[in-house]
Amino acid sequence: MPTPMNRGAFAQAGSSLAFKTGTWRSAKPVHVHATAPCHGACPAGEDQQAWLALLQEGKPQQAWERLVTTNPLPAISGRVCPHPCESACNRGQYDQPIAIHGIERWLGDEAIRHNWPYPRRAGDARPERVAVVGAGPAGLSAAYHLAQRKFNVVLFDSLPEPGGLLRSAIPPTRLPRSIIDAEIGRLLSLGIEFRPRTALGRDVSLDDLRSEFDAVFLGIGAGKSRHWDVDGAVPADLHEGLALLREWLAVGALPHPNAVVIHGGGNTAVDLARIMRRAGVRDVHVVTASGLPGPGTESDDVLNVVPRELEQAIEEGVQFHPHRTINRLIMRGSKVVGVEMVRLKKLPDGNGHKARVSFEGTETVLHVDMVVPAIGEVVDPTGLEAILRQKDYLGVDRFGQVNGHPGLFAGGDARDGIKGHSSGTVSAAIGDGRRAAEGIDALLSGRDADEEKRPALPYTALNLSYYESSPRIELSTLPLEKRDDSSEIEGGPNTVDALAEAQRCFSCGNCLACDNCWTLCPDNAVLKTMETASDGSHYLFDYDFCKGCGLCAKECPCGFIAMSEDE
Amino acid sequence: MNQTPNDPRSRQPRFRGLEAGHRACQGCGEALAARLVTEAAGPDVILTNATGCLEVFTTSWPQSAWRVPWLHSLFENSAAIASGVEAALKAQGRRSKVIAMGGDGGTFDIGFQALSGMLERMHNVLYVCYDNEAYMNTGIQRSSSTPHAAMTTTSPPGKERMGKRHLKKDLLSIIAAHHIPYAASASVAYPQDLRRKVRRAMEIDGPTFLLVHSPCPLGWGHDGSETIQVARLAVQCGLFPLVELERGEVASVMPLRQKAPVTEYLRLQTRFRHLFVDDDHRAREEREHLQALADYNVERYGLTGDGDDPFDADGADTVRRGGPARA
Amino acid sequence: MLEALEGSAAVARAVARCRPGVVAAYPITPQTHIVENISKLVADGKLHTELVSVESEFSAASVALGASAAGSRAYTASSSQGILLMTEVLFNISGMRLPVVLTCANRAIGAPINIWNDHSDSMAVRDCGWIQLHCADNQEAVDTSIQAFRIAEAAELPVMVCMDGFVLTHTLETLEIPDQDMVDQYLPPFHFGRMLDPRNPLSLGTLVGPEYFSETRHLAHQALLDAASIIVDADRQWQELSGRSAGGLLTVEGPKDARIGVLAMGSLVSTFRAAMEGTQTSAPGRLINLRAFRPLPVDSLRQACDGLSDLVVVDRAISPGFGGVLGGEIRAALSGMTQAPRIHNVAIGLGGRDVPMEMWGRLLNVPAEDAGFRILDLEPAKLGDAS
Repeated sequence: MPTPMNRGAFAQAGSSLAFKTGTWRSAKPVHVHATAPCHGACPAGEDQQAWLALLQEGKPQQAWERLVTTNPLPAISGRVCPHPCESACNRGQYDQPIAIHGIERWLGDEAIRHNWPYPRRAGDARPERVAVVGAGPAGLSAAYHLAQRKFNVVLFDSLPEPGGLLRSAIPPTRLPRSIIDAEIGRLLSLGIEFRPRTALGRDVSLDDLRSEFDAVFLGIGAGKSRHWDVDGAVPADLHEGLALLREWLAVGALPHPNAVVIHGGGNTAVDLARIMRRAGVRDVHVVTASGLPGPGTESDDVLNVVPRELEQAIEEGVQFHPHRTINRLIMRGSKVVGVEMVRLKKLPDGNGHKARVSFEGTETVLHVDMVVPAIGEVVDPTGLEAILRQKDYLGVDRFGQVNGHPGLFAGGDARDGIKGHSSGTVSAAIGDGRRAAEGIDALLSGRDADEEKRPALPYTALNLSYYESSPRIELSTLPLEKRDDSSEIEGGPNTVDALAEAQRCFSCGNCLACDNCWTLCPDNAVLKTMETASDGSHYLFDYDFCKGCGLCAKECPCGFIAMSEDE
Repeated sequence: MNQTPNDPRSRQPRFRGLEAGHRACQGCGEALAARLVTEAAGPDVILTNATGCLEVFTTSWPQSAWRVPWLHSLFENSAAIASGVEAALKAQGRRSKVIAMGGDGGTFDIGFQALSGMLERMHNVLYVCYDNEAYMNTGIQRSSSTPHAAMTTTSPPGKERMGKRHLKKDLLSIIAAHHIPYAASASVAYPQDLRRKVRRAMEIDGPTFLLVHSPCPLGWGHDGSETIQVARLAVQCGLFPLVELERGEVASVMPLRQKAPVTEYLRLQTRFRHLFVDDDHRAREEREHLQALADYNVERYGLTGDGDDPFDADGADTVRRGGPARA
Repeated sequence: MLEALEGSAAVARAVARCRPGVVAAYPITPQTHIVENISKLVADGKLHTELVSVESEFSAASVALGASAAGSRAYTASSSQGILLMTEVLFNISGMRLPVVLTCANRAIGAPINIWNDHSDSMAVRDCGWIQLHCADNQEAVDTSIQAFRIAEAAELPVMVCMDGFVLTHTLETLEIPDQDMVDQYLPPFHFGRMLDPRNPLSLGTLVGPEYFSETRHLAHQALLDAASIIVDADRQWQELSGRSAGGLLTVEGPKDARIGVLAMGSLVSTFRAAMEGTQTSAPGRLINLRAFRPLPVDSLRQACDGLSDLVVVDRAISPGFGGVLGGEIRAALSGMTQAPRIHNVAIGLGGRDVPMEMWGRLLNVPAEDAGFRILDLEPAKLGDAS
């Protein structure tokens, strides 16, 4: 029946809802929760965007709780991580990256101060037992995530105290002991059984563990210095960098040459250089094949050190010699009197790889009376000979399972490189522990291990019209003259600064509830919900009416809306 | 209609003056502007509407997208029928606000006299002009609001012409000369500012005027998704200044924190395509002309300058990431 | 109480009795006195209405449209060029079924400009969908103005009250302005069901496409046809109250046995009435006073013509290239009537040319002359070589 014409052809309010303009559409908007670059770059797997968002809402405890679902040690990582998240931060292309590490540290410290408990995952207790060897960052993380998954966890370490290299290789000027104690103490109180002074291969064998436990995780680190010589020459009184650092941390002993050259470009090299410099050594040189951060240096060729630590080291008088290696030791008898350096650079070798090439004719001499190699460490093979088979590190898959050894997992500095995962940092170790917990859980549950995968959000997907330039917060540093061997050099932000800094987050790839889509839809086809919608936002697309113009996607500040082909 | 009490559409935390199901083109700036205006004005209004796209796409009998009383008569009499509605409300002692609406054709041109009369007689009517800078409903013909050098079907570029020969009529100044309490320009790219201006006008007992820059993807030649971007650039380059006039005097302007070059705005639209022909010296000349017109606006209204503008209540619509623009 | 009043003042007073909510008008000769009188009534506090002094007739009609849609009794008045400037709006008002009342002080249309009376203006908007009622004298103008609101509101159609410019508008007559109680009793307060109201937000003035347009036109036509009985009822009830009829759809005057009839509208009717009274010597003729031009009362017309051998239709407007507008209409209305009279059509009194009483006799002689349409009071000597 046709609608009967009425007097004067008037129409009822809102009767257009009978006309479904959705049929006009060829593409439809969808919510896409893409991965923020900070999250994508985080070796520990933190979703910084997620916890910054909670902080923006003024919920610090919830922000911390969100943070520790991936990283149980934020007060530690906030201090020692070289924060690739900040290098990746889209805000860096706009003005300056968010001071993520500072906020992370502040959240971690707040949690310690207020004694916030870890949020517990729901689920029934699991009968399986898992051994975790090594109470460093990887082992602690694995133990934490396994405990959260309700496994019985026994944590072994050869030392009397848990912490691994956090205690043995990181100076308190970077990481105060009170912080280590607080975070690890809270972690162990989740019901993890800690067995100190139990060394693999000495007090317990891998076979014992394998038979006693349903799975074993090795977070044993790389405790043995890599062999070092120069054309076969080695000074008689050679001291390895890591050994010197450990000795100094343990007993405070340090050699006092007039001039020293430290060979290496990692944290051990830089930490040791700074300690020696502060201890009064006149000339402290660091020779490294890597480059200093800067326009001329490619990302895979930068010194693997927290950038601000490098700045502080230079401030303190450490002399860096980047893109160089030691070519020759100048000896008087068995004593070193100097080294000859030559310039080199990492260049493509024509086979798709890069190799270091030294340049003849660029040799220079440094007059020193001590040479300290700090070129890295390898796994101590004690007790692992059958597994390592002469290799430096343990080869593992994406979830840490040692190749060829089902039920045996490894992570942290002990493992070999994995494509797509960074190595050699506390955060990488924390990430390894978390992924291994998933690997172990999956194995023991008879399923495939899985990890959330979301597309990355590029800078170009943001609509920058909605952001305003705002400088990054300044973080304090102890003045040069006040630096000693125990005072923490870097300060964290105060509450006001931390909250203000969190506000700078672009919320890349995630809805920030700005209402733009709802406000700007000409067709009233975006609806707002009181409750959180299933995709985590507060907005619904009404496809009955959406004409597919794409305006919402274009004007979404954070790239949360994408247009997809409509069927 | 097709709604249950739990339908999210019926539970929106805003008033829907213009409902879904209207037949505007994808990305229509005018539909958005009308939605925002009616949203801000609320339910206690009576609308009048000049003939044009808005009227056509909202009320195809037996359907209407309006949720407020709405009256359309002719192309040129929106202001006059609004005067009549307002007089009737006064006679009956009713207090609903009357909002007259029209496009630039119905406002700058054919309905100009009725508008002037309405303003002079001090009717308590808010007149909203959705300015899309040409006669869009009839197929993109020039109006007196069409910008200089823009291409329309009646101002095509060719060997003898570079688009529209004349300038965009400075309607706001003419409106201001009526000495009415409040007149302002606004843009769909700045919805917060637009809504504030609507609310300001609603509070005034007397004639008020709002000129809302509303891009037309079809007529301007840009993608429907770019409506806001185009509108934003029109403001940011100075060609469409956002100003408020109280009794004819400039009371506030939206400052341009970063002035965009006009070419950035022009380049997005095919109606200015002929201004980007490489070997045509006239193209360069017209681009410079438009830049000079933008610069003139910037200077005339003081759109840039040091420090805070005390009258700038909102500034640009941002999601306020990065904290407030000025601490 | 009888008073001596100018037609415009009388109409203004009558309109005021109807308590219009909104009056909008723009001055034009010869309508001006109506607007001036209403303005004075408002200024003196004798009429409480929103008087909108618009900037054009176009806006006057538009204001009336808006006011009516918003639920107020709305009134306007105009003439000649003003009616033409309103044309677009007039169609709109009727299309939306809005009960606006308009007084048309009939005047010629230029060029050449001429401010005096004929019917070119209301004839030019013949098809705009309004009821058109003509007044023979100022008492009829008063009574028709009051009836117009009642008819308009009952039919939900606009009514144009046509009164001849100057001849009526500027002429003093002794007449009665009904008192307020009587008008209140006759005319209930205006209630408009489709009123613009936020509590029931309707959309008025929508777009109707080909799939429904014919139906809207059919309904408009039917509404005008149906209005005939409303006009008759309104007049009858007014007569019951006031003792006066304003002429229903039409009146038939003169001897029953007259074989020649004259059909006229407006003030000519008064002239011919006077002639019929005063000149017993001339041949007997029947006078048909057509009050309702729209709707055109075909059945009543046929009854009125019963027994006539000849009917002279007197026009005060011509359609160049055709002839008299009214003549054409009456011819069409009577076509197919059994024993229809022969129809003769002349135009007189164009642009204010005086129509003396002697014209009555001249008109009754028209059938004998047996010529086609012509302007009867043309003075050929004045044509010169202009043709």
